[in-house]
Amino acid sequence: MITTKIPPSTHPHADVIHRLEAGGSMLPDTPENLMQIIGIYKAYAVPMDFYWRDLLYIAEQVFLEPFRFFKYFISDEYLERQNHYAGDQADLRIWRGTGSAHPELLEFMKKGETFKSSKLFHHLFHDRINMEFAEACMRAMLWHGRDMGLGKFDAYLDSDEYKANADRAIKAYFKKNPVMLGLYKLFPDMFLEQVRELSYYANLGLFWEVMAPVFFEMSDIYDEGGFKGVPDAMNFLVNGIFAIAGRPIYHHVYIDGECFEIIPKSKGFTWLYEAALPYVEAVFYRTAPFRGTKSYNAQAHEVPDAQKDFHYGILYADVFPVGTAGIPPTLLMDDMYHFLPQYLKDYYKEHCRGEDDELIQLGITFQRSMYNVTSAVIQALRTALLYPLDDPNPKHLQKNREFFEAQMDRFLRPEARLRDIQNAEYR
Amino acid sequence: MLSFLLFLPLVGIGAIALFPRPLTRIVATVFTVVTLAISSGLLINLNLQDAGMQYTEFHNWLSILGLNYNLGVDGLSLPLIVLNSLLTLVAIYSIGESNHRPKLYYSLILLINSGITGALIANNLLLFFLFYEIELIPFYLLIAIWGGEKKGYASTKFLIYTAISGLCVLAAFLGIVWLSQSSNFDFENLTLENLEFNTKVILLTILLIGFGIKIPLVPLHTWLPDAYVEANPAVTVLLGGVFAKLGTYGLVRFGLQLFPDVWSTVSPALAVIGTVSVMYGSLAAIAQRDLKRMVAYSSIGHMGYILVSTAAGTELSLLGAVAQMISHSLILALLFHLVGIIERKVGTRDLDVLNGLMNPVRGLPLTSSLLILAGMASAGIPGLVGFVAEFLVFQGSFSRFPIPTLFCIIASGLTAVYFVILLNRTCFGRLDSHTAYYPKVFASEKIPAIALTVIILFLGLQPAWLTRWIEPTTSQFIAAIPTVQTIALTPAELSKAP
Amino acid sequence: MPSIVDIAVNNEGFSTLVAAVQAAGLVETLAGEGDFTVFAPNDDAFAKLPPGTIQTLVQNPPQLARILTYHVAAGRLTKDDLIKLGEVTSIEGSPIPINGEDDFEVKNATVLAADIEADNGIIHVIDNVILMG
Repeated sequence: MITTKIPPSTHPHADVIHRLEAGGSMLPDTPENLMQIIGIYKAYAVPMDFYWRDLLYIAEQVFLEPFRFFKYFISDEYLERQNHYAGDQADLRIWRGTGSAHPELLEFMKKGETFKSSKLFHHLFHDRINMEFAEACMRAMLWHGRDMGLGKFDAYLDSDEYKANADRAIKAYFKKNPVMLGLYKLFPDMFLEQVRELSYYANLGLFWEVMAPVFFEMSDIYDEGGFKGVPDAMNFLVNGIFAIAGRPIYHHVYIDGECFEIIPKSKGFTWLYEAALPYVEAVFYRTAPFRGTKSYNAQAHEVPDAQKDFHYGILYADVFPVGTAGIPPTLLMDDMYHFLPQYLKDYYKEHCRGEDDELIQLGITFQRSMYNVTSAVIQALRTALLYPLDDPNPKHLQKNREFFEAQMDRFLRPEARLRDIQNAEYR
Repeated sequence: MLSFLLFLPLVGIGAIALFPRPLTRIVATVFTVVTLAISSGLLINLNLQDAGMQYTEFHNWLSILGLNYNLGVDGLSLPLIVLNSLLTLVAIYSIGESNHRPKLYYSLILLINSGITGALIANNLLLFFLFYEIELIPFYLLIAIWGGEKKGYASTKFLIYTAISGLCVLAAFLGIVWLSQSSNFDFENLTLENLEFNTKVILLTILLIGFGIKIPLVPLHTWLPDAYVEANPAVTVLLGGVFAKLGTYGLVRFGLQLFPDVWSTVSPALAVIGTVSVMYGSLAAIAQRDLKRMVAYSSIGHMGYILVSTAAGTELSLLGAVAQMISHSLILALLFHLVGIIERKVGTRDLDVLNGLMNPVRGLPLTSSLLILAGMASAGIPGLVGFVAEFLVFQGSFSRFPIPTLFCIIASGLTAVYFVILLNRTCFGRLDSHTAYYPKVFASEKIPAIALTVIILFLGLQPAWLTRWIEPTTSQFIAAIPTVQTIALTPAELSKAP
Repeated sequence: MPSIVDIAVNNEGFSTLVAAVQAAGLVETLAGEGDFTVFAPNDDAFAKLPPGTIQTLVQNPPQLARILTYHVAAGRLTKDDLIKLGEVTSIEGSPIPINGEDDFEVKNATVLAADIEADNGIIHVIDNVILMG
């Protein structure tokens, strides 16, 4: 439905802009699309349940352990830790299910793909959740943080207050270790940088703590038939974004039972500004070129000079995995592969090479679903910062239009997959 | 026994006519497998002490013409017969799952099998010529009906060239028998002693032109690129694998064996022609952008080795020549089979478009891996049969023709060049995600490739299994050449050669 | 004259705002000294926010305080002052664009009632909660 109040857009992605102005998503509204994205949201949420718990485990418990061999060996306390947005004790109950770790996740951690055996065996055999993907996302946020300038989190990490907090925590953590304390005196910045990285671990963990119940609830609603189309799913995400926009972002470390607030809640950092928007920008749009696929040689000019021009996120990704090592998204695809709902598995069997290339098929579905999430973020930003879609004032509508066009400008480059996802045959 | 081998495929044609259409391929397979089994059995039971014709059969047929039903095999022809059945089996499965007019197709394949077997087992010149000419029409039909875009042009060109080749051969045969006043066309009755030297040179030249078109040799090769490229890969397997070998077989059987004294006079010129073929084929292959064309020119190059080593006329080099015949056929069959799979699944042969086929999930990983192996084999990497044959060729020819052999070795290096180009473009790199929705590769396409690979590996690691059948016969041929210094090698030392 | 908080408490349609200010612990500040220019969202404005938004914010006073302080600028700025300035910096730190072309607009909210004088500042009633960015 093209609004008759202002003339149609002349942008190359005009069709998508008009759909956004009508309240839709960048992803076309078909039942097939809806099925795909909900299924993959559920498949994504189960490993995400592990990711956020382990990220917080590393940020809060493992902290500055010099030999972090067992950082993925999450403690039971963190597996049972209640999600603030699911379960009976939730602050705001987004998901009707349990607040502790998802049962499918626990099942997988016991058995993996192979057979039931010790945690160490599963870890070394790499028959586990690929936590390396979560760390890669964290690193992307850390690396792009300064350049993006979104929110106040990254700027705070350079402040004196943060340095003082970190200093106390470092000294407390190594109080029995004179060698490390001596090293800290020699190289204070190195330890400080490690603490900054751990703060980003916490940031990402708190971000995903919220997303997992959102996706689980979407899957449950879809199973009940509550979504009539892709815009419904997107609107659920928009409402979800607003509902948890005010969630605090903080970094508390527990050393010998005592809590050190490196980033206290009282700083007022919010989920929306300090976690979600940096995450979308750093992980969906930018990320970093994968080793082995682009030459890092500056004279080769294969990597853009400006960080803002980086285009290696899921929205631009070529989903064919070029070898499986060194490309973090393939790790995520492998994780999602273990938790696909049955209707999605049946769907993939009928297309392309059936079970042989399920990983690629689900990767493309995942790309579709992330375009939907990005649409939700765009619509949420429009709701928060601009005008309603049915605003009677044409000037307001024009401002909306300019906002959408500016967003669509980012998908003009050839690597963008926006045009591909409009086509149902893109598998 | 040999007659059984000859007529079994013809019975197979009858069976194809009777059985229903879906079973056609299975019927053809059954008959070919039986033929393969019998010929392998004959090979294993070949008496290695006897370097002459074995399993002979004789019937008077048209004695007025001098044409008798005279059959026999030795160490030169029997391995080629086994090769023939093996490649027929590959060709049956190389056509792909769905082809139109299957009954006609498989009948023609079996007819070709029978014809080539007949040419190889014939001990009578006219009988040989009869079977030599029988190949013409089936191949013409195979190219014209199941070929690519320029099939009409390619098939007609092929027909004309091969017909002329047959005419030259016939002329030479008639000349041999009438001028020497032999009683009939049987091998054992050919008496060439009373021919003058110059007459023999002329006859040998005509024979060379005839077989040279078939092999092919530069400059008589121009039918090959079109025929090999336009034909269906299965037909190309047969063209390159057995049809062309008839040319080299004829060269050795009728050139070397019948004219040993003239051979050493003519051989320097032959070595030059061979070298030109080798270099031309290799250099032209580097310039190609079409996958099949590249392999076709590579085939010209590799056939040149056979001529060079046959010309050199030492025991080792002739052994190498026959070994190269078999090795080249196996490798070429594998290459064209794989190229056929790629063309069917991806839809293009253009090297500028193909990319990234080794992708394990959406690409053709097994096909690409075997293509790499086939490329290595063709380039003469040790451990594969190509090295065995090429090493024998180079070692054997170097003492007689050092410069041509040097060029051949250089060309062997050039083979690696164009194969690396081919593999770099086709297998490595990145699949284009917009177009890479290729169908699955079926087991019926994978199994012939794997079988050929196993044979190539096995013969590369255990070359005695290739050379032991050939060696007695080739030694005897060389012993008959008067002025050639034979390298003093005992059979024991020979079997120690890598 | 009543303070900004008194006006909000005593007038219809600001109950959500009052509750929020109390939850964020900003009552004393907004009742005390120092001129403030406050852009006050009415109850309808808060109702436009999707469900759960207020609940989460109320559970987290520092975050709520941040949103609320974004609605406050230093100084006693009337409608004309604001339109002339074009942009003010909020106490939270982020800028608030002002637009006076057609209606009196503050970021993406329209001012329903401007220049309500208080003891310690001026209130302009807006129809939307405004957010940073």
